[in-house]
Amino acid sequence: MTTAKALRQPCYAGIFRNIECGPSPAAESLGFPKLRGINVTGLHCGRRGLVLVLRAKSKPIRAKENASVSASLIDDWFKPITAKEDSNAEDRTSSFSGKNLTQMSNVGNSTNIMWHDCPIQKQDRQQLLQQQGCVIWLTGLSGSGKSTIACALSQSLHSKGKLSYILDGDNIRHGLNQDLSFRAEDRSENIRRIGEVAKLFADAGVICITSLISPYQKDRDACRALLSKGDFIEVFIDVPLHVCEARDPKGLYKLARAGKIKGFTGIDDPYEPPCSCEIVLQQKGSDCKSPSDMAEEVISYLEENGYLRA
Amino acid sequence: MSSVQALCQACSCAMFQNIECKLGFAKFCGINAVGLSRGRKSLLKPIMAKEDHGASLIDDGNPKCQGHQVNKPNGINQSTALSGKSLTEMSNIGNSMNILWHECPIQKLDRQQLLQQKGCVIWLTGLSGSGKSTLACALSRSLHSKGKLTYILDGDNIRHGLNRDLSFRAEDRSENIRRIGEVSKLLADAGVICIASLISPYRKDRDACRALLPEGDFIEVFIDVPLDVCEARDPKGLYKLARAGKIKGFTGIDDPYEPPYSCEIVLQQKGSECMSPSDTAEIVISYLEKNGYLLA
Repeated sequence: MTTAKALRQPCYAGIFRNIECGPSPAAESLGFPKLRGINVTGLHCGRRGLVLVLRAKSKPIRAKENASVSASLIDDWFKPITAKEDSNAEDRTSSFSGKNLTQMSNVGNSTNIMWHDCPIQKQDRQQLLQQQGCVIWLTGLSGSGKSTIACALSQSLHSKGKLSYILDGDNIRHGLNQDLSFRAEDRSENIRRIGEVAKLFADAGVICITSLISPYQKDRDACRALLSKGDFIEVFIDVPLHVCEARDPKGLYKLARAGKIKGFTGIDDPYEPPCSCEIVLQQKGSDCKSPSDMAEEVISYLEENGYLRA
Repeated sequence: MSSVQALCQACSCAMFQNIECKLGFAKFCGINAVGLSRGRKSLLKPIMAKEDHGASLIDDGNPKCQGHQVNKPNGINQSTALSGKSLTEMSNIGNSMNILWHECPIQKLDRQQLLQQKGCVIWLTGLSGSGKSTLACALSRSLHSKGKLTYILDGDNIRHGLNRDLSFRAEDRSENIRRIGEVSKLLADAGVICIASLISPYRKDRDACRALLPEGDFIEVFIDVPLDVCEARDPKGLYKLARAGKIKGFTGIDDPYEPPYSCEIVLQQKGSECMSPSDTAEIVISYLEKNGYLLA
């Protein structure tokens, strides 16, 4: 642990030094905020150098700039670190040789497990697929149309030759999360696992569309923190409760009102709308956009921000 | 279990009846096909493995049924799915209630067509130090050079993320494998060639993962390297620690490894001959090519 702390110190200092000593015009124009209270929780050595995984104690910072600029900034930050760490440079050299990079670590409840890197990386897969692997996180009340929009989005992307995959919260409960109940802790674990799987899919180069209520900001932010900046696209389907209840496509609101379902989001349990998400799909008054219209809004966002090309 | 088996039997029977009568829609004895309408309810648990198996039979046995494939539990077929609406069906499963199965018009076949490959799981099993990770990387590189999309699920890497809450207790080891099996199923469903690399010493656990996938989508590869060779290599220094008593329950030392009875591929190291990782990867590639996995 002492060793880990010692390692973190240079990284931490390096980031701030980079910001202060290098008055980057990009940073200035973007108004990039200074980072505080950041834990450096993982170093992944790959063919493209160091990727520093930051877990902010405060809320994740959602930059408005596009992915390429964001990536550029990240590269700038990490150069000083790379230059100073001989062992890391050596690791990168080993990586290029195509050998396994392994690093012993203790994490979670496990000990003596190794991180394995492989020469075929996310960028290679993205190049193959001609798209950016990312997670489109659809959040909204039950009955707001998450699954319908997810399907429309998937269809639209497929027609453009893009590979996408839907992780539907309910479907996942049939498989990976069949051991989880609807207790509060299990609900959080359900979201955590889906977030981890979504990260794997994005790493595979897939456009992963998650569709689950995920009512708490804390859980959504934890999932966002798993991914690189720009790889998590939160879409809030803003449909009023009374409209969702009137629809009641699964008959759940009726059951909840009758007291047969406890802790139902919107009835007994709260839904926390996103404070700042990438996209809001709003139903204004009696206007009712079609699922494909809303899907096209998301598609436009993806196109404008370069997700549909490698 | 007896009841489930009976249902599986009935489904299997119904599948064949369907083929004989040339009906586009499969009837299930004892099961209501309520998935065809939105929001209808059924209290029956979906029978995953057998129905997938049945779907495979229909695909193989009767080309005329292609337009009416049974892809998901309870006979929800492609024709209905193509309407673009969500098909939903209430069910109780595991520890959850009131959850629905959602169907979507873009299916695995569509994704495979897009990628020009068959989504499947290549499950590498073998002792620590047998070369699973090295082979996985060589395989990934080779497939990538052929323009195929692969993804490696390394048992150790997954413990950093999805399975960070699991320890090395016996129950947690099984849960570790179960979750990796479920994720590999999802990746295969996405059209990806998923390469799972973990010791998975018990046949029961490997068979449970195989049962998650349709027939032919699970390719078990046994890397047959003797224990003494693995221990001599000891790339992670774990055998040394285990021999010193610092690691308990280490596979091959304290805990047993159960070699597969019938797996698709055995990569054997004979005597002192040592095949290179790319040679062993080519054996797997040949298998994939011969069995049509590298074309849609």
